[in-house]
Amino acid sequence: MGAYLSRILGRLWGEKEVRILILGLDGAGKTTILYRLQIGEVVTTIPTIGFNVETVTYRNIKFQVWDLGGQTSIRPYWRCYYANTDAVIYVVDSVDRDRLSTSREELHAMLEEDELRDSALLVFANKQDMVGAMSSAEVSDALGLGTLKNRQWSIFKTSAVKGDGLTEGLDWLVNIIQGSKQQQ
Amino acid sequence: MTSLRAADIIFDTELYQTRILPVINASIMAVSKPRFFTTTKKGENYELRADLNSEYRDRRKDAIKKVIANMTVGKDVSGLFPDVLKNMQTDDLEQKKLVYLYLMNYAKTQPELVILAVNTFVKDTDDTNPLIRALAIRTMGCIRVEKIIDYLCEPLRKCLKDDNPYVRKTAAICVAKLYDLNPDLAIENGFVSILQDMVSDSNPMVVANAVTALAEIHEASSTKDIFVINTPTLTKLLVALNECTEWGRISILTALAEYKPVDYKEAEHAIERVIPQFQHANGSVVLSAIKVVMIYMRTIRNEELTKQLVRKLAPPLVTLLSSAPEVQYVALRNINIILQKRSDILQNEMRVFFCKYNDPPYVKMEKLEIMIKLANEKNVDQLLSELKEYASEVDVDFVRKSVRAIGQCAIKIDEASERCINVLLDLIDTKVNYVVQEAIVVIKDIFRKYPHKYEGIIPVLCQNLDALDEPEAKASLIWIIGEYAERIENADELIVSFLDTFRDENSQVELQLVTATVKLFLKKPQSTKNIVQRVLQYATTECDNPDIRDRAYIYWRLLSTDPQAAKAVVLSEKPPISVQSNNISGSLLEDLISNISTLASVYHKPPETFLGKGRFGADAVQRRAIEEQEEASRESPIQAQTKSNIENLLDLDFSDPSTLTTSPISTASGSSAPTANVDDLLDLFSGSNITTSPGQSSSTHQNNNLSNDLVSLF
Repeated sequence: MGAYLSRILGRLWGEKEVRILILGLDGAGKTTILYRLQIGEVVTTIPTIGFNVETVTYRNIKFQVWDLGGQTSIRPYWRCYYANTDAVIYVVDSVDRDRLSTSREELHAMLEEDELRDSALLVFANKQDMVGAMSSAEVSDALGLGTLKNRQWSIFKTSAVKGDGLTEGLDWLVNIIQGSKQQQ
Repeated sequence: MTSLRAADIIFDTELYQTRILPVINASIMAVSKPRFFTTTKKGENYELRADLNSEYRDRRKDAIKKVIANMTVGKDVSGLFPDVLKNMQTDDLEQKKLVYLYLMNYAKTQPELVILAVNTFVKDTDDTNPLIRALAIRTMGCIRVEKIIDYLCEPLRKCLKDDNPYVRKTAAICVAKLYDLNPDLAIENGFVSILQDMVSDSNPMVVANAVTALAEIHEASSTKDIFVINTPTLTKLLVALNECTEWGRISILTALAEYKPVDYKEAEHAIERVIPQFQHANGSVVLSAIKVVMIYMRTIRNEELTKQLVRKLAPPLVTLLSSAPEVQYVALRNINIILQKRSDILQNEMRVFFCKYNDPPYVKMEKLEIMIKLANEKNVDQLLSELKEYASEVDVDFVRKSVRAIGQCAIKIDEASERCINVLLDLIDTKVNYVVQEAIVVIKDIFRKYPHKYEGIIPVLCQNLDALDEPEAKASLIWIIGEYAERIENADELIVSFLDTFRDENSQVELQLVTATVKLFLKKPQSTKNIVQRVLQYATTECDNPDIRDRAYIYWRLLSTDPQAAKAVVLSEKPPISVQSNNISGSLLEDLISNISTLASVYHKPPETFLGKGRFGADAVQRRAIEEQEEASRESPIQAQTKSNIENLLDLDFSDPSTLTTSPISTASGSSAPTANVDDLLDLFSGSNITTSPGQSSSTHQNNNLSNDLVSLF
């Protein structure tokens, strides 16, 4: 009966949106990825104090994509956005080796959160266009993705500036989301 | 669900009674047990939070509307701050406005989280829609949280240079808000100088708002060099004046009032441009324009032009009197000031100030004041018949004031005094208690202005002796009896009739009785020896009031040592009184003229006396009110006492200097002793060498008793 009700409500309330968070340290390229996904262009960005949210339709699914500011001072407020999140896109600056450990800590702290228990994790090893970028395996190791349990995750090499790897990542995400829907 | 309900009804009753009823009872028991903290319901806010984070757009919007509705009825929805904030970025203008509204209300409660809104603000100030740009910058200015101030600067700079005038004018006000929070930041970022440039903006609305913001900043600044009008800006302001909204006009006119024209030509030119504002429908614009003209007229030397301008000032003032009563009141209070500066302004407009039967009392009272100011030989007949009419109305205060007004006419216009007396006699004939009493008080004043002129009416007054029960009226009649004792055959009887109740009288009446008895004795020594003895005996031995006692002692000593000297002192010629129609002193008057159309002009007090100094925002007022209340509740009786004392002191300092000047001794000797003590002082000195200057006039009512006493000594 609940499913039936929600379907009726769904018709009443309009289309359901899939909520995705883009997280990561400051300067990783989250805002650039968001607008690359939405309008397909590279925009000039300024540090995000707060958040951006855009609706992106991809393969007939309506995504509500949240890009949250990654500066140390506003990272504590990420938790305000965890509710009802279907997937997290975690963006890593593949050139910034120094802060990979910080990035790893933030990632694991985030995944501990109860509200994100069921959300999928998609990691973008970003800035692959730059010289000295780490490979996805290196990034995966540095983040300790192998130690994750009970989590659907994947990592992709991306370049937001060039637009490489983003669609592959999204495809993976769509498959996961559709899969989990069918399970329901 | 509904089908289940239907099934309920078909239950057979036995089953209901045996099985269901106990269950229901048990559940009622369970509910009735008080459980204050454990509740299965998570509350409305919990549901709202879920809806605000819903996957459905419409549900989110409905939730926002519910939150705003709760906010407006006073429920605390500050806990939903982050959740509402998340809905800030939207294409839906309505939703955006609602979220902004919420933000303005609750930003103070969540200063940490406000930072999450910054990015959206910045984005919105870049929006293609000027409405959104203005909305964003306005909201940012309203939030007043220190943490986001730094982020405000860039968007503000952008908006100040915006192509759209609506955005620019909104940003202009925002600068004033920023300055209020952090003056240094506003100056360092050059916002204040941008604002100064904006006075030359092509759009009059922008000019008006820039002027408003600059004036505010100027006032708050310590250097007072932020907004100084010079000849070029004057021209720009005058151009913008005719084209902007009423509020813009008010702020421009207020700014113009601060400016001092360099020469009479500039003043004339500016006045010419301001005068069309007299026709504006908004009373505040009209009064502001009048203020500017009144101030600039100081610079004009040309007599002819001044006369013309005075003629032009009358019609807008008259028009204001056909507005709502509240506006009328403000207009009347302002007219009161203007008349004291330029008494010739409404000379021929007396009729406008006649009270209508349905005027509220506060308007009537003010109109009476104005009418007295306007009274002259030509219109006094008309005025008197009008005042006589008022004296038969039902509102006691109004009637009393009308009767007093008749007296003031008599004192002000010599030619009319006889007519006034006749009107007053007519009123005494009505036998209405309070009218008679008020008339007697007034007639006493007339006697003091025109001594020995209307003694014929004394018998009529004395007939009403029994009707008097108010101290002031009694004191007045006793004064008259004492003063004209030689003309009143039964003066001694009349005085005696008061003596039986001497100890029950008000001290004011007692004082007058002592003086009147002494006068009576000096005039008719043979028959009244007993009376004076009795009075002085009583006053010196049994009376507790030191004023009365001391005066009785002085009289007694005077009489016993040198009756001739006593005569010279007690029956001396008294200085005539005059009506003080201009009851505001010169410098204060100029100050009030500069504040026409503000609260100061309604209170007739300079703004410093009722405004706090420096930054005194709404928060501070609220905080102070709470503190005061707390203090009052802590030590209420003492607190109340000291507070009223302070108020008294303030009154003495600021109200009208005439209260001080009426007591020449106290001011001369540099003591600001409370007025009651002045009697004492006078009594002490009265034997020696006091001379009053004839110009020393006392205002007629407030200090009547005092000045009567004072005068009766000389």
